[in-house]
Amino acid sequence: MAPKKIPTPQGLSKAVKLPELWRKSSEKSLGSLLKRLRKEVTKSRANLAEDDGLDWLKPRALLKPDDQEEVADADLEEEVGRVLTTINPQWVADEVAYHYGQGRFVVKPRPSYGKAYPLFVFQGTAIRKDSDEAKAQIAAGYGMVSFDDAGPKKAKVKKSAAEEEEEEEPEPEPAATGEEAKPEEDAVAEEEKPVAETEEPAPTEAGAEQVEGEEGEVAEEAEPEEKQEGDAGEEVIEIKPRVKKLANQFNFCERAALTYVFPRRSVDTQTIPPPRANYGSTALQSVIFDFYQEDYARKMKEKEDEKPKRMRKKTTKHAKSAQQIHDEQLAQRIREAWAILERLVNQNIYDDIAQDYRYWDDPSDEFREGMGSLLPLWKFQFEPMRSHAVCDLQWNPHYQDLFAVAYGSLDFTNQQKEGCLCLYSIKNPAYPEYAVITESPIICLDVYKETPYLICVGRYDGNVCVYNAQLTLEGSYQYKSDSVRDKHSNIVWEVRWGARMIDGEASFFSISGDGRVVQWAVMPGELQATTIITLTSNVPPIPGPDGTLVTVNSCGSCICFHPEKSEIFMVGTEEGMIHTCSLKYNRNYVSSVQGHHMPVYRINYNYFNNSIYASCAGDWRVKIWEDGRDEPLFMFELGSPVGDVKWAPYSSTVFAACTADGKVYVYDLNVNKYRPICVQAVVSKKTKKLTRIDFNARLPVIVCGDTKGTCHVLKLSPNLRVMCKPPKKAQGVDQRTLQIMKLDKLLSLVRDPPFTPGVVDEKFEDD
Amino acid sequence: MAEEGAGGAGGEKVIHTYPLIRHSDMSEEMRIEAMELSVTACEKYSQNNELAARMVKESMDKKFGPAFHVVVGESYGFEITYECTTICYMYFGGNQAICIWKCS
Repeated sequence: MAPKKIPTPQGLSKAVKLPELWRKSSEKSLGSLLKRLRKEVTKSRANLAEDDGLDWLKPRALLKPDDQEEVADADLEEEVGRVLTTINPQWVADEVAYHYGQGRFVVKPRPSYGKAYPLFVFQGTAIRKDSDEAKAQIAAGYGMVSFDDAGPKKAKVKKSAAEEEEEEEPEPEPAATGEEAKPEEDAVAEEEKPVAETEEPAPTEAGAEQVEGEEGEVAEEAEPEEKQEGDAGEEVIEIKPRVKKLANQFNFCERAALTYVFPRRSVDTQTIPPPRANYGSTALQSVIFDFYQEDYARKMKEKEDEKPKRMRKKTTKHAKSAQQIHDEQLAQRIREAWAILERLVNQNIYDDIAQDYRYWDDPSDEFREGMGSLLPLWKFQFEPMRSHAVCDLQWNPHYQDLFAVAYGSLDFTNQQKEGCLCLYSIKNPAYPEYAVITESPIICLDVYKETPYLICVGRYDGNVCVYNAQLTLEGSYQYKSDSVRDKHSNIVWEVRWGARMIDGEASFFSISGDGRVVQWAVMPGELQATTIITLTSNVPPIPGPDGTLVTVNSCGSCICFHPEKSEIFMVGTEEGMIHTCSLKYNRNYVSSVQGHHMPVYRINYNYFNNSIYASCAGDWRVKIWEDGRDEPLFMFELGSPVGDVKWAPYSSTVFAACTADGKVYVYDLNVNKYRPICVQAVVSKKTKKLTRIDFNARLPVIVCGDTKGTCHVLKLSPNLRVMCKPPKKAQGVDQRTLQIMKLDKLLSLVRDPPFTPGVVDEKFEDD
Repeated sequence: MAEEGAGGAGGEKVIHTYPLIRHSDMSEEMRIEAMELSVTACEKYSQNNELAARMVKESMDKKFGPAFHVVVGESYGFEITYECTTICYMYFGGNQAICIWKCS
């Protein structure tokens, strides 16, 4: 006997073909199943859909994988029965194995279920209704209730399935007993089996013969199983009837819903723990004592230091470094030494002039009754300022030999880029004592009488500054107006120191071409601006480019404070108006006079009579006014624009004027009411003009500046400074009273006839 | 530093009783508070350092949150870990060392 029977070619082919068949049948059965399912679904949900139109419940198109086999619709429609057999295609029919006991090969006992081994056998409790057993039970009074009665409300599908079961169950018993063994194997097969059985008789061309073959085999193989079945059946019989009704145990419906399981997530934050540090120490009496001693010593030292601290603070502020101080001091000492040396040299050079200016008087005056002359003494020039004009000059009120000069430019078409503030001393005509170059031309200056080293200047760019002549030159200005916030928008024409403010701060006033008079309070570290008055003009508002009306301010050109009433000041404008204003009114003028027809260059109060003032203008005229009169008391035409007019500090009736044609005019109204007592050409009228003039308060000299940066110091001849001789009746009367009396006497002559046109018409012929 | 001036400035034999901060990184306000508390406590329980320490600790806990530690004594050594800006090590009365710190 062959040890192992090789499977027949037929069996092999079967085994190969089978999967195909299965697949096909399963595909077809799947199709039919789907169809049926769909039918059922539509059936069961039809009423729902009808009621609410729930479209979403309707089945949708099936999603097909791309590689799905293409099957014709006809084939899909075709109903193919699913064939399941118990035949194991792997099973070998006549397998032998060596039996050690018998010592030979024996045919292996055929396994009852092919290669399947039952692991668990569960005996069903159901019995057939029409079996003997059931009949016996029914006869015994069980199962009186029929299926229909038991579940009248069951779904149709189920019912039909149950009916099918009922119908089909009896049939297979004689034909295919092999299949009967299946329920024991698998519970799922139970459901499919009836379908398969019903399908089986249907003639399927594809697997008809195979099915037949299989069946043949099945028939063969089923025989031993039948025996077992029979055994099982006997066992079942012994089961006692347990329930009255014959309920269908599969006839139930389970419903469940599975909801989403929300994923869980844990979130936590960890903060940085507060910082920690370690510290360790030892507390001992000795340590404590020592520390107390140390602290005490420190405190004592602090106490000692407290007093000099204040002083030290001050010193530390200035002292940048000891070396610097030393250097500065050294430089200062050298500078002083050089200055002395320079003066020595100058004194030698200008020895005769130095003698003359004090002691020499022009002897010719004695023979020229009522006429005087000017003796030129020195010329002051500062080399870098050769092309600049002397825009303002003023003797220092404290030092009789010192005068301040503002270098700027009056040539507005060719304006200089920088200016200069110089202090000259007549002791050194060669070089200024103090000179500081400014970034903008200086137009005007005023020396503070209380602290004569403070000089305020008005600049061409509209700024005002305060210079401290005591500071080193590097210090430049001490105060400066804020160029952005509050500077003038036009040339500052004149600055004048005013009275101290209520809280003690010095203040000065500036007048500018922008029509504003601004008071500047010299605060520590800054200048605080207050607009006192904005000069209005009679010009109607001019329509601007975008239709807005632009009001035109009149341009201020000079300012003059009343010597006694500190709130009253006079303002000259470029239209020739002379306005009397008060600090208390910032809108209206106290009075206003059409003084000139050209810009007013200077208004100057008489030193002896506070109601008399002189004015000069570009209209060639010098006028003497009295407060409250609209017409001048005197008027003089000088034949050229008059740059400056100043009253003499020593005489109530003497004043000097300088003109653009380079001449200085000195008038003494007491001597001659119509003509000057001295006319002297100081500079060549072709190249230079005289701009400003000033009397020295104590010395009989005047200084005048020209447009080429030169300052001329001239000595007044005796005839120009005649003092009043006290009358014999009142010998003890002082000079000042006499001067006032002299002026009053003169004025009374002019006043009585209100106005003498002859004075006006008197033209100076000397030109 | 302590504002209270020293006692008599009599050369060698000067007894200092004012509170004197040896080491502290507390804020100004907290330091002054701690100092005043220590002074009060040490004056109140001048014979009992334990009670003084307890008083300071409890008051500090109330004012600045819990977990303050206070040591009051005349001679001791320590090596501590503290939360920053909460230490104050001071002397008082010329012979007492008070250490206040917070650590939770």
